[in-house]
Amino acid sequence: MTELNVRKTQDEALNRIREQLLKLGNLAQDAIRKAVWALEKQDEALSREVLEGDDVLDELASGIEEGCLLFTARYQPVAQDLRTISAINRMAIDLERIGDLGVSIAKITRFFFGKTLIKPLIDIPRMAAIVEEMIDGTMRAFINRDAEEAKKVCALDDMLDDLDRQIFNELLLLMIENPRVIEQATQLVLVSRALERAGDHTTNLAEKTIYMVTGKHVKASEFRRKREE
Amino acid sequence: MSRIKFEISNLNLHYGTTQALKDVKVDLPENSVTAFIGPSGCGKSTFLRCLNRMNDFIPGCRVDGRVLLEGTDIYAPETDVIALRRRVGMVFQKPNPFPASIYDNVAYGPRLHGTTARARLDEIVMQSLEGAALWGEVRDKLHSPATALSGGQQQRLCIARAIAVEPEVLLMDEPTSALDPMSTARIEELVRELKTKYTVIIVTHNMQQAARISDLTAFFLLGEMVETGPTQDIFTSPVDRRTEDYITGRFG
Repeated sequence: MTELNVRKTQDEALNRIREQLLKLGNLAQDAIRKAVWALEKQDEALSREVLEGDDVLDELASGIEEGCLLFTARYQPVAQDLRTISAINRMAIDLERIGDLGVSIAKITRFFFGKTLIKPLIDIPRMAAIVEEMIDGTMRAFINRDAEEAKKVCALDDMLDDLDRQIFNELLLLMIENPRVIEQATQLVLVSRALERAGDHTTNLAEKTIYMVTGKHVKASEFRRKREE
Repeated sequence: MSRIKFEISNLNLHYGTTQALKDVKVDLPENSVTAFIGPSGCGKSTFLRCLNRMNDFIPGCRVDGRVLLEGTDIYAPETDVIALRRRVGMVFQKPNPFPASIYDNVAYGPRLHGTTARARLDEIVMQSLEGAALWGEVRDKLHSPATALSGGQQQRLCIARAIAVEPEVLLMDEPTSALDPMSTARIEELVRELKTKYTVIIVTHNMQQAARISDLTAFFLLGEMVETGPTQDIFTSPVDRRTEDYITGRFG
């Protein structure tokens, strides 16, 4: 009889949960991408897809949380396994929040249908692209156990903050010049803020990945531009 | 900062030509629980027995190196080994009560060391049984046979017997591996209380037990002490790959 791999069942269980997290990452990324795309293209069906897709996302996040609890009860993990399960549990929560932010954006999008945009959208899609890249980066860092890759993701959050501030200033000027655009402009500010918050959740993902790999609790701000108070 | 109870360095042990312990160096803090973990045959029980010279009973066993108990080398030729074993008591894996009454089991050690006054012995028996969380269950049957007690109770009796001679250190060699989960939980709770008065060193196969009750953990492999550190560090982020592989069950 060939040698028994004592870790077979445990490793399979852990791999299953890991794959579920990657899937959740994809769903969160989709939610953001589709919501902003729907805004850009005024695509009603696409925005509805985001709203309807949120249940699937939430269910998957709950499933991951359940899976982590069961794994803990069954295998009493320690060391690397313990940090991995703990990281996955926390990351599922952040990914679920990103999904929720996609829904918020999709809801705002529906406000714009049938109206002419007060300005072409350039920076908002740019922000969305950065958020997608950040999620990509953290999922890669997670599956490859690469702390350095995770740190790079944190640095991207600076770009998001810059864009958010830029959008706000630009819209503020527009509102001052022409009070009739205030309604639309404030909605766009909300979209921009939602994307900025999605970026913050992504840096949480990076922090948890670094913890999983190194055992050290870090703050994303350590890997970003120094901020003046 | 805890005081150091045992300071061990350059400890090598041979059974005949076989080397069972290689260059072990570690400090064991006072009023702490230190757990020794490692796969079967790694030397952890052998090392435990060095701390009260129980290895002296094994023919062909040779110990080199320093084992300092509060600064004094217990292997120095002038050592009073009987006195040593009073200071450093031991509890074994399989409960081993003497074929005598509960009372006589606990009173044996104090009697051996010269206490004969009945009132004093009564006091010691009661305090020791209380200290071992057994008093309530046996107070009305002190003169009944110890062997009639359950496994968990017998083990607590062995702990009472060990603490009756007022030791400073308690060595425990897999004290709960022969017991059911409830008895195990009782003894773990007891160990947590015992450390306020004694220094406890425990050898265990049960990783979670080590994680639950110890302050410091030392991992042994093939006679070497591979890694030692605060228990919560060892179980969340061990430094040595071999430690990680052992505690996550990749070998054992």
